[in-house]
Amino acid sequence: MTEVSLQQVVKRYGQLEVVHAIDLEIRHSEFVVLVGPSGCGKSTTLRMIAGLEEISDGTIKIGDKVVNKLPPRDRNISMVFQNYALYPHMSVRENLGFGLKIAKHPESEINKRVEEAAEILGLGMLMDRLPAELSGGQRQRVAMGRAIVRNPDVFLFDEPLSNLDAKLRVQMRTEIKKLHKRVNNTIVYVTHDQVEAMTLADRIVIMRDGHIEQVGSPLKVFDHPNNTFVASFIGSPPMNQLSGKVIEKEGVPHIDLEGNLTIPVPNRARNHVQVGQQVIVGVRPDDLTPEGHGMSDVGEIVSFDLSVSISEPLGTESILFSTIGNNEVQGKMLNPRPIEGEERLTFNLSLDRTHLFDAETGQNVLGHSDGSN
Amino acid sequence: MSSQTKTTLNWIGTFIVMLIITMPGIWVILSGFRPLQEILAKPAIWIPQRLTLDNFRAIFGIGETQIAIPVVAYFRNSIIIATTSTLVAIVVGISGGYAFARYRFRFKNTLFLGLMLSRTVPGIALSLPLFILWARLGWIDTQFGLILVYVALNVPFTIWLIDGFFRQIPKELAEAAEVDGCTRWQAFWRIEFPLAKSGIASAGIFAFLTSWNEYALASNLTRSTNSKTLPVGLTDFIAQFTTDWAGMCAMAFIIIVPALVLTFIVQKHLIAGLTFGGVKG
Amino acid sequence: MSVLTNIKRKMFSEQATPYVLLLPAIIMILIVVLFPLLFSLYTSFTPYKLTRPDTLWKFVGLRNYERIFTDWDFWVAFGRTVLFLAIVINLEFLFGLGIALLINRITWGQRTLRTIMMFPMMFSPILVGFQFKFIFNDNIGLMNNALQSLGITDQAIPWLVDGTLAMGAIAFAEIWMSTSIFAILLLAGLFAMPKDPLEAAQVDGCNAWQTFRHITLPYLMPFAYIAMTIRSLDVARAYDVVDTMTGGGPAGRTELLWTLIARTGYDSASMGKANAMAYVSILLSIAFTYFFYTKLVAARRYMGGAQ
Repeated sequence: MTEVSLQQVVKRYGQLEVVHAIDLEIRHSEFVVLVGPSGCGKSTTLRMIAGLEEISDGTIKIGDKVVNKLPPRDRNISMVFQNYALYPHMSVRENLGFGLKIAKHPESEINKRVEEAAEILGLGMLMDRLPAELSGGQRQRVAMGRAIVRNPDVFLFDEPLSNLDAKLRVQMRTEIKKLHKRVNNTIVYVTHDQVEAMTLADRIVIMRDGHIEQVGSPLKVFDHPNNTFVASFIGSPPMNQLSGKVIEKEGVPHIDLEGNLTIPVPNRARNHVQVGQQVIVGVRPDDLTPEGHGMSDVGEIVSFDLSVSISEPLGTESILFSTIGNNEVQGKMLNPRPIEGEERLTFNLSLDRTHLFDAETGQNVLGHSDGSN
Repeated sequence: MSSQTKTTLNWIGTFIVMLIITMPGIWVILSGFRPLQEILAKPAIWIPQRLTLDNFRAIFGIGETQIAIPVVAYFRNSIIIATTSTLVAIVVGISGGYAFARYRFRFKNTLFLGLMLSRTVPGIALSLPLFILWARLGWIDTQFGLILVYVALNVPFTIWLIDGFFRQIPKELAEAAEVDGCTRWQAFWRIEFPLAKSGIASAGIFAFLTSWNEYALASNLTRSTNSKTLPVGLTDFIAQFTTDWAGMCAMAFIIIVPALVLTFIVQKHLIAGLTFGGVKG
Repeated sequence: MSVLTNIKRKMFSEQATPYVLLLPAIIMILIVVLFPLLFSLYTSFTPYKLTRPDTLWKFVGLRNYERIFTDWDFWVAFGRTVLFLAIVINLEFLFGLGIALLINRITWGQRTLRTIMMFPMMFSPILVGFQFKFIFNDNIGLMNNALQSLGITDQAIPWLVDGTLAMGAIAFAEIWMSTSIFAILLLAGLFAMPKDPLEAAQVDGCNAWQTFRHITLPYLMPFAYIAMTIRSLDVARAYDVVDTMTGGGPAGRTELLWTLIARTGYDSASMGKANAMAYVSILLSIAFTYFFYTKLVAARRYMGGAQ
């Protein structure tokens, strides 16, 4: 059983603290993705787990063993680097077998395990080539092969797909997921791409400025973002954020948005806001749709007119651009029809799917979801 | 101007430049193989009438005309001193260059600058105190004394070049090796060193040439066949036999040969090393 | 034992590693450069003469410096050295640039030409000196032979005997020896130069000269400064050339700071005075290097955007 546990882990460079006392429990054979904008500390965290960066404070455990001071070679991990870091002077075969050779495994065993890994990743034809003679996707595969050959307790991936073109990225994403199903080891994966995070992860860890903002399953962080940062980071196109003020209207709390628009506070949030509170309403473009072009079964609806200035057709849907007050908003049109010039359309906003955040703190008024699921 | 004429002019210009670069050396080498009478002839004989190895026999003391310059001893000294100081400078240079390329530490820039500045001290200025100190230590006119000086002379430039070569190797390779189970030393020795090898070799050739060619220090720190090197020998020759141009040219040829051969080997890496170290420094 | 392991642990800790790796280099420089220089700094305050060892312990303060600063010969040599370096380095840059542009246009045999260009860099300055002593010899030198055979003159032009001509011949040797550094680095700069800014300049309506002046040249300057920095690291190589070609003569007319130091220290055995001069020459070298290095650092800053 290989859990990875980070307790109050801190990273400082001189005076500068880049990771602030983070806690994270990763379960055996779990696929955890660290995601966040560049500079958020996700790669540093991964490198601390790998032992490539010393930790400044706190405890890191792999399995039952505290590894704070252990060099990478004693942690039984393997890692796939962003630039693959294949040894340029060794053939694919030598690259794959290097770790086993260093560990002084007998040659027959090295050969067997290298062949196995090559088989899994379909590298058979390439075994005697040098890395320079491989395409980007092939290098990626070799890097993964080198990681699985050693059958480590934990796999670490540091933005492994960011150097591939879009099409190959999707393909490799699937392969990584298949690989996890097959070997079932614990995986910690770093990316800045939220789509990659959503599609791969059992649990997503969203980081910003050296803090963990939220931990949860992909659907959980999508459905219940803890704060405006997570809300805007997860989901594409990003969630619209409209500022407003809670008022009392006809005996029920409403939100007075800019641009003379007033919507009722959703039922589930009624007990969590006070009249006079400044709030931010989060609406995903999927939940702001023109009449007759939305999803069915969306619960309580508010309708209003907006004038659409630009539309971006994507085929099965179009993204519509408009403004509410001073805020740019995006909506989605399913089964789209062409829109030319400015057009005024009636939009439906599904009230039950909106999110409410306190304007001052940016936190979800419903509180935080726990990280367990 | 048509592009045809431009190209032609370009070629003519290049030809003249190459002529100026190669002519002096070729003339000296050629004269080393000509009899003295032909060199001294008036009016000048342009096309060599006769090529001979007599000049070389003479300076190596095998011909009938013997010359009192112990070229063999100088040659041996030059080889021993240049080779040894190069090997040591390379080891010291790898160690230091790696430190600059891979680590962040206090006083890094100061140290780097200090090393480089030590290289700016003119040889003749440095020779004065070294002459006095080495005399006290009994290191004057020893190979050891000169080797020590040449190592220190070469270390800054060697570090600079090797630093540049190590920085071309992504840091992740050593990290990958460490994750793969290597110690830091193994990661260096099995991954980074083999990749920097050609660069290190060219730094070595540079160090060798510096030592091989050095004069200001050698002329003052050596006295006899114990440690005199070829450049010092050549100036002795010039001073003693002012008119034996053929002999001097033959000796010059002996000094030139390693330079020519090594230039040929090193040229590719040299340019990469110099530009990389400098621009990305 | 525990102290030893403690020291050992400290030595191999991550923070100490770079210092341990640099230790051999630092020790070498200490023994061969820094310590001797401190010693020579001390002797520059004594009337030390090699022939009278006891003078090493007599302290005379700044008298050596006063004496060299009031010595006309010293100032002539100093001025000549600075002027010589300024002229020679500028010409090397110009010629180097010209050669780089010539070779950059050539598509066939470029590598060979580049290799040939490197030969002078590898030559011992002593050899360069000898070579040009031979070529500029008034009696049997290639130069006079050629001029006479071509009928330009029937005189033997005293290249190394006349003061001005000798200085010119020395400058020629120096330029021959070091232009390659500029040519090679500037050529590397031309190779590395991205094509986009050139095309952008053409689209913006620049003519060939304007493109060169405003796009190519600024891009090449960092490479030129690398060459100048490398070059200034051993400007004192000129000592070898002068020593072989003229020995500072005739009558001190080609004396540079470095030959003057050698003459004062070794021939007149006035080590104290020679060391005072040596310090001036060291400061001069450092000033040259520092000047070009700061230029290089400044030029690199905008290079970052291009590469």
